[in-house]
Amino acid sequence: MAATPDGQNLYAEAVATGLWREIPVFRMLLGTCPTLAVTAAIKPALTMGLCVIFVLVCSNIMVSLMRKGLRPHVRILLFTLTIATFVTIADLFLRAYQPVMSEALGPYVPLIIVNCVIIWRAEARASHSGVLLSIVDGLAMGVGFTIALCVLATIRELLGTGRLFEIQVLPKAFPAWAAMGMPVGAFLTFGFVLGFINYVSRKRS
Amino acid sequence: MLDSLKHFVRESWLLVVASVLCGLLLAATNAALGPRIEVNKALKLTSLAGGLLPAAQAFVPLSSPVEVKGLDGKTESAVVFKATAGNAVVGWVFKVVGSGFADRIELVVATDASFSRLAGYDVVSSSETPGFGDQIKDAYYRNQFAGAPVGPFSLVGLGAANERDIDSTIVAISGATISSTAVVQAMNHYLPQLKDQLQQKGLIGHGSNP
Repeated sequence: MAATPDGQNLYAEAVATGLWREIPVFRMLLGTCPTLAVTAAIKPALTMGLCVIFVLVCSNIMVSLMRKGLRPHVRILLFTLTIATFVTIADLFLRAYQPVMSEALGPYVPLIIVNCVIIWRAEARASHSGVLLSIVDGLAMGVGFTIALCVLATIRELLGTGRLFEIQVLPKAFPAWAAMGMPVGAFLTFGFVLGFINYVSRKRS
Repeated sequence: MLDSLKHFVRESWLLVVASVLCGLLLAATNAALGPRIEVNKALKLTSLAGGLLPAAQAFVPLSSPVEVKGLDGKTESAVVFKATAGNAVVGWVFKVVGSGFADRIELVVATDASFSRLAGYDVVSSSETPGFGDQIKDAYYRNQFAGAPVGPFSLVGLGAANERDIDSTIVAISGATISSTAVVQAMNHYLPQLKDQLQQKGLIGHGSNP
């Protein structure tokens, strides 16, 4: 089994990196545009997360397969071409099978093309690693990204509407915080969650 | 010359091969999902049209194609539905496209059975600026068309006419002149052509000009 220089299993290390050590939104502060835009409710956040997982895994596979033929000056072109192809497929799929969600997400699905998380993993992992490790890496990073979106969306939907997955959870007497559904709510929630994660990390270290 | 050609091929063959593969993949996906996307669009169109023509019980697409010239001058096949209640025709529904500030604006427009008055319009898709251009979705602008004669419409600035008067004069949205113009332009461009086509097919009478 492949191992890192310090003897750790490469696959386990990829999973730990994607889910915690370098979790894109909370540790690397990457992909914050969709993070702020689609987390007013859990459903769109989850859909966006699934789209990112699909694109990450597929583009990682393709880049990994091409890695031996990559030339430095066409590298970014190839990454962008690959990512754009899979984003378009995800967008078409949503428009065909989830038209209401596709409309709710608006331009943010096509904008996955410029999501730094995907090009980061293509450059940092898939262009140097085998297909299996690239898949594990794409899955871990995608799931990490999705978890981050869902954490923020849960807080915002709950406080903003008193609901979760559009089902009433808090008592009807609870005054919904309308601001949580707006950009200000996104920034505030993101800031508080980041602060909490940093606090926990420092305590642990 | 040969050396530079060899260099070009060596450096870019992968990009060329990947481009062809990605193109094929996209073409296959589009071929597989395209019909379903079109069905979804038609469903959305008829559901919006239901709000414009509440008396309609069904929207039947015309069996023969209705060809019109688009804003770019190219001939295109228009999406036209006959709105029916029982056996009676209660109106006509079709899609028109305008050139907005950010992107194309797709509108569903409904008229009465004689194609003499508009029942109104709704926005199928647009990427206009929130708070400005996207006010074409709001009642303030849309209500000016509901019940108005089927054009031609003229756009005037705020204060130049009363927006509550239902006539061919449309008061623009403040701060969204391009989006306001796009709607009026789309109506003026498509409505006469569609009316002419429906008259030629004998689906509406010739004496219903406003």
